[in-house]
Amino acid sequence: MTTRPASSQLLIWIAITFLLFPVLILLGILMRSIQAGEISALQPWFYPAMTLHGVGMVGVWYVAAMACAADVLSRHVTLPPALGRLAIAGTVLGVVLLLACVLLGRFAAGWYFLYPLPLKGEWPLWSAVTFLLSLTVLGATWFIWSLGLLWAISRRFSLGQALGWHYLAGRTDPVLPPSVLITTVSLIAGVAALVSAVIVLALFYLELLTGQASDALLMKNLTFFFGHTLVNLAMYLGVAVAYEILPEYAGRPWKTNKIVVVSWNTVLLIVLVAYFHHLYMDFVQPGILQYIGQVASYASAIPAAVVTIFGALLLVYRSRMRWNLASLLFFLGLVGWAIGGVGAVIDSTISVNARLHNTLWVPAHFHTYMVAGLAFLVIGYFYHRCQEAAALRESKGYHQLLIVLMTAGAYGFFLMFYLAGAFSVPRRFAVYPVEIGHGASFAGWAALFATLFLVGFVLTATEVGRRWRAALSSAT
Amino acid sequence: MRIASGLALLFILACPVPAAAAAGDEGRLLYERQCAACHTIGEGDRIGPDLAGVNERRPRDWLLSFVTGPDRMIAAGDPVAVRLYERYNRIVMPNLNLSEEQAGQLLEYLALAAPAAAAPAAAVTELPRPALAGPQSRVLQLFLVISAVIVLVFTWVALSTRNPVEVDVHRAYSIRRVLFVIAVVALAGLLVLTLPKAPYARAGAEPARVVYVAARQFDFLFSEEPIVSTAEVGIVPTLANLVLTKDELVEFRVTSLDVNHGFGLYGPDRQIVAQTQAMPGYFNRLLFRPLAPGEYKVFCLEYCAAGHHLMQVRLTVN
Ligand code: HEC
Ligand code: HEM
Ligand SMILES: [Cu+2]
Ligand SMILES: [Cu+2]
Repeated sequence: MTTRPASSQLLIWIAITFLLFPVLILLGILMRSIQAGEISALQPWFYPAMTLHGVGMVGVWYVAAMACAADVLSRHVTLPPALGRLAIAGTVLGVVLLLACVLLGRFAAGWYFLYPLPLKGEWPLWSAVTFLLSLTVLGATWFIWSLGLLWAISRRFSLGQALGWHYLAGRTDPVLPPSVLITTVSLIAGVAALVSAVIVLALFYLELLTGQASDALLMKNLTFFFGHTLVNLAMYLGVAVAYEILPEYAGRPWKTNKIVVVSWNTVLLIVLVAYFHHLYMDFVQPGILQYIGQVASYASAIPAAVVTIFGALLLVYRSRMRWNLASLLFFLGLVGWAIGGVGAVIDSTISVNARLHNTLWVPAHFHTYMVAGLAFLVIGYFYHRCQEAAALRESKGYHQLLIVLMTAGAYGFFLMFYLAGAFSVPRRFAVYPVEIGHGASFAGWAALFATLFLVGFVLTATEVGRRWRAALSSAT
Repeated sequence: MRIASGLALLFILACPVPAAAAAGDEGRLLYERQCAACHTIGEGDRIGPDLAGVNERRPRDWLLSFVTGPDRMIAAGDPVAVRLYERYNRIVMPNLNLSEEQAGQLLEYLALAAPAAAAPAAAVTELPRPALAGPQSRVLQLFLVISAVIVLVFTWVALSTRNPVEVDVHRAYSIRRVLFVIAVVALAGLLVLTLPKAPYARAGAEPARVVYVAARQFDFLFSEEPIVSTAEVGIVPTLANLVLTKDELVEFRVTSLDVNHGFGLYGPDRQIVAQTQAMPGYFNRLLFRPLAPGEYKVFCLEYCAAGHHLMQVRLTVN
């Protein structure tokens, strides 16, 4: 069997991801156990844990997806190694600051730190400042990283070519791999999101320094433009990787064509206005933006379902598919993306949102596409690259068992969120009041399922780890 | 112009501005503005303990130093303060930067204030899970059905790889065209059906009653007149027990005095029937027609720090 060495930077990202993910899962299990009323002594840690878990998970899976996309990109364009080193150093520094403000300062404004809460909680001001500094470091690092990758793409493809516009004119030269197209779209959206984050942070600093208060509605728009876009594009980066790798397992090509170009260019436009669905319950937001939010959210389903999911199914249908841990995870990752997407589109209906907004339905759908979607795709890619470099023997039955453990754990855990959401159980409640006491039993079951998932993940990470060690010795 | 503004200034100076309300009233105002969000007098515990009879319960010196510096007392390990802290969900009572004099006025007010008439109802500790009904149940069913279809399709495709064969891409593309049309028609149809049901206030809907809601960390205040700042709390009369009439359209005008909160209205069957956000600096206008009589509850649906899950208020529909 021929081997292909892995890049040492990717191996570092794998180590970071696999170190942080289980810790953050434990925080998730901790939260569900507190909500179930099992360890009420730890209740004061619920909101700090929620904040660390939320920011940590979004951050980890965003950088992991970026690392995979960069690794795939390096097959097609030349990346400056310093860029990757900067991304690793900045991310580690940001994480250290984040840990400090939550663990030492009990900072607990939630993952989207909605203005003006960070300045008005029970935590000390220094912890809020440290949190803002942490986000500044992370934001600046990722901003440079995104621009650097776009610059690397631009040395081989013009912007129009990287967005595939020449396909629209009927030309296919230069050939544009779909992964490059999707990565370009995601990076452009990422730059826009990070600019919005910079404005939010600047307005916070302005208030800290001069006392000049900001407009709460403006801040909420900026915050969700940033948060919504970042989470969505992380998912797209994972999909880009699937476009590149799945064909290798199916033994069939998955190429860019007119439809794929139209679809992903539309996604770029839609993803930037779909965030309005986070403000449906702010009735002072101009009405037209609310309706645009619903139309854009619905519209975003069409390229995803009819082009990407359909394309993936067509690729696999009756192919000589080589099923292993990686290809199974890719395939299941698309299932998670689709199911989570259905949950999202339902909730993006304004009249439905009036019943589901800020209930557990919200974490239900985003955990579906973050855990069973993005995380599956990324873990699949990590395994794929390490196995490619190490070429160890693969034990099919055991790997299928791991998949069953993770899938059963994850979907059981999600189902408790969906059910609780339908029963109007609010999200972000450390303790459920009597009227919503039924939230506690969903939480208890969820903690069990999440533990099952954790076991499956740790065993899977061990399988990746064995190959990782072998890959390290031959790393480039 | 200048004369007019000068007159206005004189008028303002001459008027009994809120802060200078009747002497002896300082204690009450301080209490309503700074303490009532977490405490009651005789209506039971909320975020912190019921303060009825607290003057008899604790020595005056202890109370003065606790009210002026609860965080210091807890940090210094004062046994009573630490016990209270443990008992009340380990939420540290905020240091409100009060002077000893203000603390004295507060204790005086607490001593005089008659415990609120209604004795706290016997605490219910457990309720059965409500039935799943209404739009939420239809939404869940729809979601489960679509998810099942997704799982079936993916399973079918995965199993198909047992019999590999070359696939006719052009036929697949014509299937895709059909799917595209179906998806567009379905989503457009749903848009047409659901957009008109958006809960936003529309011209022509005349509410029979307007109720103002001011949210703050960690309670809701109902009133007939708007309350837009802490300075107006204790001046503008509030409605202790809000009673609405069945089938009568009411408009809630919801704002916040500090951070973002959520105004989540739960019906008698303990499901969300309507909601809007409470955002500082804005009034969100929520139109609501109560169709079922009974006890309603409002819970905070936007995370607002340690007391978030304890922030609630009751209202009744007759
Ligand atoms: C954010 C909620 C909050 C606010 C606002 C608040 N308290 Fe408290 N209070 C608490 C909590 C919680 C406790 C229990 C001790 C602890 O955990 O710190 C407490 C305890 C007390 C106690 C001790 C009661 C006893 O049984 O010994 C007194 C007295 C008191 N508060 C008075 C006040 C006064 C006066 C104000 C207004 C100036 C006020 N509190 C404002 C939350 C609050
Ligand atoms: C199996 C692993 C996981 C478990 C057990 C878990 C558990 C939880 C729980 C219990 C909550 C709080 C829900 C509530 O509001 O009551 C939560 C919130 C959240 N989780 Fe996870 N989670 C997991 C994986 C992930 C992943 C992979 C992401 C990636 C993005 C993620 C992102 C978030 C975010 C952003 C929040 C919201 C935090 C906030 O409200 O501020 N989680 N999670
Ligand atoms: Cu609140
Ligand atoms: Cu709240």
